[in-house]
Amino acid sequence: MTETLGKTGTLVREVAGTTHAPPPPGRRRRRAVAEEPGKPWMIRVPLFLYLLFTLIPFYWMLVFAVRPSGSTQLVPWPISFEHFDTVWNDIGFGIFFYNSVVMGLGVLVFVTILSVMGGYALARFKFRGQRVFLLAMLCSQFIPGAMMLIPLFVIFKGIGLLNSITGLVIAEVAFQLPLSLILMSGFIRNISVELEEAAMVDGCSRLRAFFAVVLPQLKPALVAVGSFAFIGAWNQFLFALMFATRQDKFTLPVGLSYTLGEFNTDFGALAAGGVVAAVPVVLVFAVVQRFLVQGLSAGAVKG
Amino acid sequence: MRKLLVAVAAAALALSACSSEGGGGTDGNVTITFWDNNGGPAREPIYKELISRFESANPNIKVEYVGIPSASVQQKYDTAIAGGETPDVGGVTTSYLAHLVGQEALAPLDDRINSGPLKDKLLPSLVETVRQTAPDGKLYIVPSSANMDIIWYRTDWFKDAGLEAPKTWDEFITTAEKLTDTGANKYGYTIRGGAGSVFQLITEAYAYSGVDNFFKDGKSTLNDPANAELVDKVADLYKKATPEADVNNSFTQMIAQFTGGSVAMMHHNLGSYSDVTKALGDKVAAMPLPVGPSGKRTVVPNPTDGFAVFKNSENQDAAWKFAEFLTSAESNSYWNEKVGQIPANTDVRSAAWIDTAAHVKMALGVLEDPATILVPAPVYLPQYSSITKTESEPQYQKVLLGELTGQQFLDDMAKKLTEAEKEWEERK
Repeated sequence: MTETLGKTGTLVREVAGTTHAPPPPGRRRRRAVAEEPGKPWMIRVPLFLYLLFTLIPFYWMLVFAVRPSGSTQLVPWPISFEHFDTVWNDIGFGIFFYNSVVMGLGVLVFVTILSVMGGYALARFKFRGQRVFLLAMLCSQFIPGAMMLIPLFVIFKGIGLLNSITGLVIAEVAFQLPLSLILMSGFIRNISVELEEAAMVDGCSRLRAFFAVVLPQLKPALVAVGSFAFIGAWNQFLFALMFATRQDKFTLPVGLSYTLGEFNTDFGALAAGGVVAAVPVVLVFAVVQRFLVQGLSAGAVKG
Repeated sequence: MRKLLVAVAAAALALSACSSEGGGGTDGNVTITFWDNNGGPAREPIYKELISRFESANPNIKVEYVGIPSASVQQKYDTAIAGGETPDVGGVTTSYLAHLVGQEALAPLDDRINSGPLKDKLLPSLVETVRQTAPDGKLYIVPSSANMDIIWYRTDWFKDAGLEAPKTWDEFITTAEKLTDTGANKYGYTIRGGAGSVFQLITEAYAYSGVDNFFKDGKSTLNDPANAELVDKVADLYKKATPEADVNNSFTQMIAQFTGGSVAMMHHNLGSYSDVTKALGDKVAAMPLPVGPSGKRTVVPNPTDGFAVFKNSENQDAAWKFAEFLTSAESNSYWNEKVGQIPANTDVRSAAWIDTAAHVKMALGVLEDPATILVPAPVYLPQYSSITKTESEPQYQKVLLGELTGQQFLDDMAKKLTEAEKEWEERK
């Protein structure tokens, strides 16, 4: 849900940009010319409808969250924060939120650093078994998390990582790393080796050349990989639910499912919890979407 | 240097001793973990209150409460069993009890119940349901409360139309038709056609047919012609006395239609008590499922809720003490009054709140009536839920849409159930 919002946001921006800016060269221009006879509204109206379609559920969530229970107003006024009070203080979303933030940041940091390091190695060095390694990385994506649940549970129990955010971070990093690694090595491959070599001719060590030349150009990639890592961790439900046997280690998705009882659901609390869970993701996308479009298109077109 | 090393080692030892949680300390204090199988803001405060009462009565036992979201509780238990991290006490319902017993995760409670104050104090029909769920007939949970299928109806609509609550299915059907006014968007009944539909349909079918056992000579009785008759009768009501959207109704939509005021009668269970009364106040009441032409009252019991002591627990005595406390007359009364379900402890029968909670009194009356025949669904069959949910719910929608007859629909399901039962008997 949250990802769609991000995608919609970027999509709208991108299209708005292309209609005003001169069309980019190459194949895209030819296509743009073929579509030229269309009027702006032919793009805007469908896009606006699509935007409505994605935003209405969010509007409903907001309405449910801020109107008092029992009310059926479509435009809630006066706004009531009773549901937020319930979820934050009574249900414990304060703790869940903290846990989710710590976990999200941990995953972000480790996935970004490790994928830059590994991605660089994959892009710049040739080593025996490289293809096999890449293939194995890709194949690991086919394994559903549920299958790893019990083995991981047993291992984590053995080394005392149950009921800890550290354990969740390790598990989530392990699951996210392969794809991030492949993405990152694609980005790095697109940065010309010549620049690096030039820096080394000028006396840089490989490490310094990396920091001086490669890393600045990797910004969009770092943002793309980092934000997806964060959001992936933010939405992680299964591990968070299974590895925590103490309520003070629950994360937000677990907290949300906690508001859904077998016989009664407090829709106000559920919606308020949903808002609490969605806001950081929306903020992340609002801040990084500019870089994200750069990052994604850089990977897509040149790759 | 050596001294330092020794000191460090001693400190480490002391630390690791402290951090071994849950175990019995040398001072006799124990901490036990309790998993609530339907955790959430609605039930957590009730348990918290009971736990604080328990802790003040037993100062050497601490109870750690963990609420598990009800949708994931079975998976959570399975993972915990596989990983050897089960709680000491847990809420368990008969719907997945057989599964847990099959993994040898629970301790039988017969002896503990019979040697304590709970002896002969538990509603026999519930005890029987629990016994029938375990392959060896032992009691692996101490039942705490029961739910029952009932029909919620709008007393104000009935009064305006000069109608009485129907007693038989035929009356029920004519009542539903009489209360329908499609022009005014008023319908007599709402059918659950979406998720969870078939379980409700089965209880209706057995209530109608009066067939008193799920299997006869190893063969499923589900496709009994009388059961099929009921399915067809319900399907006939579709669109005539029910909203057209019913074919996709799950619990949420069904209850939204009812509390929204467009439906006169809804088949659900006691669990929706707080939702319906919050929306409709005293304009709603409960009646038992009507009886069929046989005149016999057959009830397919809902899953029974209870507490289990886990075999892996190092503090089984303390765990049992807590389970026993939760099912004692006082706690059981407090708990069931809050959630509006049938108390398992028979001493609660005389509690004052039962007289004011008409729906509980009615349901209790049905369960205590010697003429009532319990027909427990074979929830012990591992395939039961996939047969009645995944495989059958879409088929039932076809029945509602008139693409399949009730008999064809039940024949198919009965065949699968018979096979599953045969497999079960062979393995036993």
